[in-house]
Amino acid sequence: MSVDERLSEIVAKVLLLDGDQLKDDIRRKDYEPWDAMAHLVLISEVENEFGVTFEDEEVVEIWTVGDLRAALARKLRG
Amino acid sequence: MSHESTVEEVLATVREDPSYLNHWSAYKKIQRMGVDLPDDPTRRLRLAVIGSATLEPLAACTDVKARLEGLVVATFVGGFNTYRQEVLDDNSGLYGFEPDVVVLAVDVWSLLDKTFIPDFVRMGHDERVQAQERAVAELLDTARRLEERTSALVLVNNFIVPTFTPLGVVDNKQEMGLREFVRGANRRMEEGVRDSSRMFVVDVDSVASSLGKERAVNWNTYYRGSVPFSEEFSLRLAAEYVRYIRALKGRAKKCIVVDLDNTLWGGIVGEDGLDGIRLGTTSPGVEYVEFQRALLSLYNRGVILAVNSKNNFDDAIRVLREHPYQVLREEHFAALRINWQSKVQNLIELANEINIGLDSMVFIDDNPHEREQVRQALPEVMVVDLPSNPRLYRQTIEALDVFDVLSLTKEDMRRGEMYVGKRKRAELERTAGSLEDFLRGLGLRVTVREATDFDMPRVVQLIGKTNQFNLTTRRYTDAQVREMSDSGDVAVYCMAVSDRFGDEGIVGVAIVRKGAEEWVVDSFLMSCRVIGRSVETAFLAKIVADARKGGAKRLVGEFIPSKKNAPASDFYSKHGFEGPVEQDGVRVWTLDLTERTVDVPEWVELVEE
Repeated sequence: MSVDERLSEIVAKVLLLDGDQLKDDIRRKDYEPWDAMAHLVLISEVENEFGVTFEDEEVVEIWTVGDLRAALARKLRG
Repeated sequence: MSHESTVEEVLATVREDPSYLNHWSAYKKIQRMGVDLPDDPTRRLRLAVIGSATLEPLAACTDVKARLEGLVVATFVGGFNTYRQEVLDDNSGLYGFEPDVVVLAVDVWSLLDKTFIPDFVRMGHDERVQAQERAVAELLDTARRLEERTSALVLVNNFIVPTFTPLGVVDNKQEMGLREFVRGANRRMEEGVRDSSRMFVVDVDSVASSLGKERAVNWNTYYRGSVPFSEEFSLRLAAEYVRYIRALKGRAKKCIVVDLDNTLWGGIVGEDGLDGIRLGTTSPGVEYVEFQRALLSLYNRGVILAVNSKNNFDDAIRVLREHPYQVLREEHFAALRINWQSKVQNLIELANEINIGLDSMVFIDDNPHEREQVRQALPEVMVVDLPSNPRLYRQTIEALDVFDVLSLTKEDMRRGEMYVGKRKRAELERTAGSLEDFLRGLGLRVTVREATDFDMPRVVQLIGKTNQFNLTTRRYTDAQVREMSDSGDVAVYCMAVSDRFGDEGIVGVAIVRKGAEEWVVDSFLMSCRVIGRSVETAFLAKIVADARKGGAKRLVGEFIPSKKNAPASDFYSKHGFEGPVEQDGVRVWTLDLTERTVDVPEWVELVEE
């Protein structure tokens, strides 16, 4: 599986989405299942899966699925 | 948001891949579907998880794991570190929820000052002892209040003994180093709940050790959201809670069914012969001996063993009877199926013969094809994936955590023997000419005494669970029985039965109200294990004799019909009582002691204590 696919699987499972419902513009503030606890689990699962660690400032700045994708890409580029 | 999937479909993804992510996702999905609890209390669980951290992830894992056991679960998660208020406030959400299991997950450090570890180094011994006492007393107070205010099982986490200590390698040169501080606190907690039947200390320290304590904590989630337990540790700990839940809900396994060739010993006895199979004091062979010892330890604890093998009966039974290194002998097995028919059919027959459900059975076989067939045909049987390397057999059996009970009476521990006695009795019954010959051949000994404190747990257990041979089905609590037993005008009798095939322990209880003229048998009950051996007659004869000795003119027996006690409905008429007279749903029978009596059957030796 590619990085994108692995990330999509985590996002879909934590945010309770089917594959075709997963969109990069899903926004934390507008999507009710994406509460603080879900955000914590989401970040932690991404960290565990990809062996990265996010700073607190990065965590609060992740507002959409697209933001998460970009933040992970930055981490993986080093 | 997907609405089409059912709870079962969601759980199927967890069964396929029991990852933390799948547990969490399943929990959230099921919560959104809404939980509809069934009426049957053995099929539902009301789980509360409260404590000093953010506990939703741990609660989620436990909820889903309990669902994988077939329960429908409603889960209450306490707020972060709000457990004291939830427990103290009689109107709290926790009490409104009416849990039947409460997990109390409190971190030891949350009970101590923030600077406890740095201060600890310079504390005197007395100060350390006081801090330990205070922390434990506070937690035990909370647990006891939960026990009083709810009818729940209270599962108190013990404390994880730290690997770090500022005292370094001389930590245990002090009378109470930091590790001893926590170990001692754990011991105090265990002592504090030992006499309770509803409070249990969960050995979280041991669960953490088995995973590796460094892996038990996720520092990122700990600092970010006060979630201390790592993902993999949350799963492990949830599995530990499920052991108690299984026992509470009557879903623990009772019986291990084993294959023989390449399972109990190495090789195939039909081909390699008695002296060619691998079973002995060195490898290869000692692996099987140790595997058998692990099985024996479970048998000694009360787990029933049975054999299911494709073999020539004579070849296989010779190993059980004659091989010098065989640990498990014929007398350890409650039933044996050594033949060439399908293992599925054998399992069904074994369940019938032993008289337990297929869902109480665990099947152990080295052959993956046999395992798959059983899995397909009998999904309710738990099939163990035995590794192909026999050196891992012992570890595999030791890791099975499905046999738990919440209390171990002497009778529970001897269950294995009792089932073997049952098999031998059945053999005698087949070969005996008549029922009387059979009973004479048993060498029955019946011991009747007024119940002592020592007998009380078993007496209360029998009062609580006996359905069939129970004349009035009056369920008394521990406290009620003790009160009756202590009063002068009620006798609480218990009956123990043994014969030449084994000791059944205490299997009968009678509660008799002693009046001047009239004694009344308020309760009379007997485990179905000993039905058909006329021991109830001996028990009644002893009560009749005591009543006469006490100067009574009449012995009155009561019968209250229930859905299950029809087999006992003719008990008093069979023993010469007159009646019945119907009074408010109670059938009352009377034995005139001046004219009639009940004799001990001549094949029973009655021992009075």
